[in-house]
Amino acid sequence: MWKQTPGYIEGWTICSGLFITGIVLQLYSGKIAPDLLHFPINLISGVLFLIGLLLFHLISIKVKGIQWFAGYAAAVTSLSSLLLLVIIMGLTRQLPSSYDLSRENGFVRTGFMQMTVSWPFILLMLYFLWILGLVVLRRLSRFKWKDTGFVFNHLGLFIALFGAVWGSADLQRLRMTVSMDTPEWRATNEKNETVELPLAIELKAFTIDEYPPKLMLLDNITGEALPKKEPVNVSVETCPFEAELLDWKLEIVKDLPYAAGISNSDTLNYVEFHGEGATSALYVKAHNVTDDTRKEGWVSCGNYLFPYASLRLNEKMSLIMPEREPKRYASDVMVYTKSGDSKEASIEVNKPLSVAGWKIYQLSYDETLGKWSRYSVFELVKDPWLPVVYSGIGMMLVGAVFLFISAPKKI
Amino acid sequence: MQWNHFLYFAFPSAVCWAIAAILAFKPQHYRKSVVLTLAGVVIFSLFIVGMWMSLERPPLRTMGETRLWYSFFLPIAGLITFMRWKYKWILSFSTLLSLIFICINIFRPEIHNKALMPALQSPWFAPHVIVYMLAYAVFGVATINALYLLIRKTEKQASSIALCDNLVYVGSAFLIVGMLFGAIWAKAAWGHYWSWDPKETWAAATWMGYIIYIHFRLHKPSEKKTACYLLIFSFILLQVCWFGVNYLPAARGNSVHVYSQNL
Ligand code: HEM
Repeated sequence: MWKQTPGYIEGWTICSGLFITGIVLQLYSGKIAPDLLHFPINLISGVLFLIGLLLFHLISIKVKGIQWFAGYAAAVTSLSSLLLLVIIMGLTRQLPSSYDLSRENGFVRTGFMQMTVSWPFILLMLYFLWILGLVVLRRLSRFKWKDTGFVFNHLGLFIALFGAVWGSADLQRLRMTVSMDTPEWRATNEKNETVELPLAIELKAFTIDEYPPKLMLLDNITGEALPKKEPVNVSVETCPFEAELLDWKLEIVKDLPYAAGISNSDTLNYVEFHGEGATSALYVKAHNVTDDTRKEGWVSCGNYLFPYASLRLNEKMSLIMPEREPKRYASDVMVYTKSGDSKEASIEVNKPLSVAGWKIYQLSYDETLGKWSRYSVFELVKDPWLPVVYSGIGMMLVGAVFLFISAPKKI
Repeated sequence: MQWNHFLYFAFPSAVCWAIAAILAFKPQHYRKSVVLTLAGVVIFSLFIVGMWMSLERPPLRTMGETRLWYSFFLPIAGLITFMRWKYKWILSFSTLLSLIFICINIFRPEIHNKALMPALQSPWFAPHVIVYMLAYAVFGVATINALYLLIRKTEKQASSIALCDNLVYVGSAFLIVGMLFGAIWAKAAWGHYWSWDPKETWAAATWMGYIIYIHFRLHKPSEKKTACYLLIFSFILLQVCWFGVNYLPAARGNSVHVYSQNL
């Protein structure tokens, strides 16, 4: 259907041309070195791109033939070609962009498994941005108030994408493992190289708040949670507490959030213990309402220091406590900057800390030690182009409101 | 409130919606069908509020919980379309679609789980998912309309594809907001606003599909059939984004967006 429409043939031809050029470049020269575009090269090339756009736009006022690039056919074909690459990307497992492909063969060498740094993707992306830029310039050059929504949507998208593409090489993401009470200023980048930072972090305390302990049933032989398709569990919120699991009535009589397991000969007993390495334990009385059997004993999830304890209910199943799920984890830190300032702060998931142009994120901790972890892993991110991207995003949010209002057409 | 109370709310709601859908075919019953649909929505929302309170978090984490919102928003989207453009059949379709999701939740219930992992504890979480669900519901209605157009090929097509246009504009507005909220949240939670995680990749594809539809319609208003196919194709992309990524081998163990082990 599109074949007969003038304008679309040109569009498909250009996009296929760019795609094939991209593949050839990819096969000959390999992927795009991710840090090719570092400051100031990216800034210079970005400015050149904008100047080029402006020149092209000015020429197109005289040369009618190239106005096609600011029209629907160019927009639809370039978007569709990019969409094709995005779908391929969604269907293939993506490798980290630092992974070396040059020794691989066949399909892998086409770069589709590192789509965002492959030549076909970058070429089509730049072409797409070029068209979007021309579309915006053309409408801006004869702006009327009713175009406000159009400008917010299209210029916003242009700014956000421009910032994301040209800023990507300046984005730094580092990992830093900080042990308790020892200031750390070295971090590692994605290639595992050590980077020294103009700031140091010292971990003062690490805390985890957990969700209430849970109880569930496990098959003694297969170790699977029961019933197989839809396992059931109860969350023990208070103590004493009563609950039912399948045909077992449970009565929780003791809840020790800080417990130590003590084994003497054949029994495992739990006592209150507030020292490092404490685990969580519940004393449960179980009553089977079908055959009237009764069992009681300790159930504990255990940890690196103390064993776990399950309550064997019958030959078929046991009652267990799965590892407790973290609700919140946070690091209390001291941050020192080169200028001699120091600052006390708390960092947790979703609440990064901003210091000297860096954002510091809580990433993980020593999971084998759990709440007794002696270190915290942080991610440090610096993205100088973020304000550009965010202003584009802000404009698009306003644009979405316009899009919403502009919808109800008279039918 | 727990999942096993779901039937007591879903059934009366579904009955309200079904009666409303039948009444909608008779113009003289217009008001009754509006009121009945609203009644169903209110009953259904009681369950959502109850779940929210007893879980002590918004019910948005598992697939079952998001299906809950989908079955909630569909009749609302249908009702708005019905009131605005007076399509008699629209309530039947939105009710049917909603019913499918209700049935999935009844026959494939999920365990009651309160835990919300730390990354999901953010003020962006609820608006991000709710806005997305609204977009999905609106696009669902648009897709049904496109299918209807392709099958019926009636003379009134000129007006009916305009319904698709309107719904796609509204849906895209929600989709864009959902996506951008997601980006802002990702920055706060994971350090970057866009990481081409499989879910993000398919969200981008979905967005592109609908943007292509918008521009193709503006460019070639007479090629309605191609436009309808584009709409259906975009909806398929959306399905991949919503739950397909949970099954795609390319995304297995590779996505930060897979939160629930039992789907
Ligand atoms: C956020 C995404 C976008 C939305 C919501 C959107 C929406 C719209 C709307 C509603 C119009 C008609 C406006 C009017 O005539 O006043 C339009 C026009 C247009 N759009 Fe988009 N668009 C988006 C992205 C794009 C992109 C990515 C391109 C190109 C690469 C593009 C190219 C065009 C073109 C060429 C026109 C016609 C402009 C003209 O006639 O001056 N749009 N868009």
